[in-house]
Amino acid sequence: MTKPRSNSKKGQSKAEQVSASEMLAFDHKVLEDAQATRRYFGKFERIIDHLKQVTKLSKKEGLITTAEAKILLTYLLGLSYTFTALSYKFLMANRVGDQASSLLSIDKTDSGFPIYGEILHMAADASQAEKHLKSLPSQKRLKQDMVNHILTEQSIPTKLQYALSQRIYYEYLSKSTLFLPGNDPQGIWISGKKNRDSRSYLIHWAKYDSQTNVPAIYMMELEDTGRKALPRDERRWPRVQSHLMAQSMSSLKLLTIARGFDRDFDDLHPKFMRRFNIGPMYSHKFTEQRGPLRDVLADAKGEAGLDWALSWTVESLVSEDTTQEKTGMFSSSQRELYRIDTLDSKAAEDGATEIARSLILPHRAFQVLEEKNPTGLRDIRKYVVGKNAKILSYK
Amino acid sequence: MSNFASQIENSKKEVAEAQAKIAELSGKIETARTKMEAGSDISIDIENASLDDVHAHAELMNSNIADLILGLDDVTSGFSKEFDGMRSKTGWESFVGIFSKKRAESMRQERVRMASIDDKLQDLIGKSNVITKLLTDQLDTLQTHKERVETNLTQTLVDREAAVHALESLKAELLAMDPQIIELENQISVETNAGKRAKLESALADLNGKYNEAAQMEQVKLAESQTLERYIEKGKSWVDSLQNQAATQMVLINKLKTDTKQRVVLYDALTKSLKTAQQQDVAHRINEIGIETDQEAQAAMSAIGVATNSRMAEMMESHEDHMVYARKVLEEKAKADERFARRFEKIIEMHDANAYGRDELGSTGNADGAGA
Repeated sequence: MTKPRSNSKKGQSKAEQVSASEMLAFDHKVLEDAQATRRYFGKFERIIDHLKQVTKLSKKEGLITTAEAKILLTYLLGLSYTFTALSYKFLMANRVGDQASSLLSIDKTDSGFPIYGEILHMAADASQAEKHLKSLPSQKRLKQDMVNHILTEQSIPTKLQYALSQRIYYEYLSKSTLFLPGNDPQGIWISGKKNRDSRSYLIHWAKYDSQTNVPAIYMMELEDTGRKALPRDERRWPRVQSHLMAQSMSSLKLLTIARGFDRDFDDLHPKFMRRFNIGPMYSHKFTEQRGPLRDVLADAKGEAGLDWALSWTVESLVSEDTTQEKTGMFSSSQRELYRIDTLDSKAAEDGATEIARSLILPHRAFQVLEEKNPTGLRDIRKYVVGKNAKILSYK
Repeated sequence: MSNFASQIENSKKEVAEAQAKIAELSGKIETARTKMEAGSDISIDIENASLDDVHAHAELMNSNIADLILGLDDVTSGFSKEFDGMRSKTGWESFVGIFSKKRAESMRQERVRMASIDDKLQDLIGKSNVITKLLTDQLDTLQTHKERVETNLTQTLVDREAAVHALESLKAELLAMDPQIIELENQISVETNAGKRAKLESALADLNGKYNEAAQMEQVKLAESQTLERYIEKGKSWVDSLQNQAATQMVLINKLKTDTKQRVVLYDALTKSLKTAQQQDVAHRINEIGIETDQEAQAAMSAIGVATNSRMAEMMESHEDHMVYARKVLEEKAKADERFARRFEKIIEMHDANAYGRDELGSTGNADGAGA
């Protein structure tokens, strides 16, 4: 919707006024020119690479466990595949100028990611990838046709280029493990005997949140007192999976999700739960933000690739006690009580034991941030991407 | 589901047939051109290339697809069932409620927690993609044909210009010959020398022969130019028709895209806010108060149950604030709807009059399409 801002100081403030009013009218943005689309995906590719480093660093710092780091890395890999696939999908879309080919929409306020609908579309495409691959000519054929077109028509073979980009897109969809709108729960066995004593599992799943347009990765440590091991229990496991998928929404607090799960499954006890929100991504070029971060990014702009920041939030919920609750005439079952500091009104509102916020940003933005030192961003951990993509962590 | 699949199959057939008809007509126009270049008469070919058949079929096909798009509304009526379900109790829950209100309420809560429309959304997008594919295929065909016929036409226009030019120069030639002939005739009438007279007469015969030849040539060129003109007219109206058909396809695509976008956003937001509202407060109160919460929870739940309706209203209002996007989409939808309505007035009328008799609707749609 908005045109790229001009570089002059005057033009910039004017453009920002305009876009501020536009923001009220429309919080999705369509990337209309090919260069912007390419720059957008290029940026995300780099950021996801940094995220992998950040994950390894937080593991070293002891903020997350090895198992958690491993799970995070798989989802991040999926996320980078998804972005690569989307970048192929939209690579030539602007050039063809067809009604039929749609352009990429991103959420420009408080997300910076593509909108949920795009991911849903991609999942729908993925389910039909094989069919499309059968009907599309092979890469070799397309390239041959392009050469012929260039030699005989002496013009740019835009349509063939588009066809090739779609071919590569579908090939990518059929081959890679993508980050889908919903990534069903998987379990890892942690401890406990294989007999009837309680066993522990780490369940993990992920969702592309439809309300905030931000990917969220969930982990839950479960104690299983059921007769049969959970991942092999065909009565409980599918129900557990669909319950967790249906409950994974950003508008629900961890406490709500955990309590609900605890009530619905009498012999499963969620002891520990975590939600990683990968985003929002702020970028001076693509998104619009309010508050202190806006000024920081505006001052850091200049060189491409140094004017972004990605927020990374880890919510954790820990069970500190259990209680027995009557579930019927003669039966009762164990329920968890979670540690929440009820005296701290903010913590009570958060519905989690702890929320750790951090910000990943390039060195230039960090320097501006330190100079300005805004109150709102003082207490959060900062991961700074230096030159050579080396990452340092500052409190 | 099966209904949708069979409708899709039906529409696919229609599209294939329409494309065949379009190809046939463009083919006729192109063969006429090659024949014309070879110099044979093409009037019959031009007369044969009738647009009516193609139009009738395109209309039939479009009405079927429009019907399909409206039919998605029926597919999505499943969503509202889901929403109602989240707000009210099932028969079994009400029955349990007679014995234990608490049990019934917790059953309902559990059901709300399990509720998810993600699969339905995926299904919706899948179906709408199938239709979009159908429409864009048709649009592509229309556009390639339009391009082909247009290049053909520009060539023909050049040809016609040449023909007209030739015709004019022939006319000028004939005009120039007239005084020469008169002069010769006059000379013959006054000439007394037989030898000279014979010479003049043979010159006159020569000139007359030339004149006749030119006059005949004029007729030929005139016919050629007329044929070309008719050919151009036919071609132009074919291009117009293709353009119009393409516009119809674009309207359909636009309507479908905005509809789907809007549905995904709105349904998703509504489900999630319903789920959130029904759970968040209860969970918090229970955890804060700890063990002796049964009565408390019950009170909270029933309070929430009572307040659900007003809450729903509030929520929708607050959504209007937050989801400015939805409003934008709604505006876009209104525009798309308007364009759609302008083109498919009849089908919408039929659909509204008989929303569930889909078979009957289909057949009346066909009859109407064929008649129009």
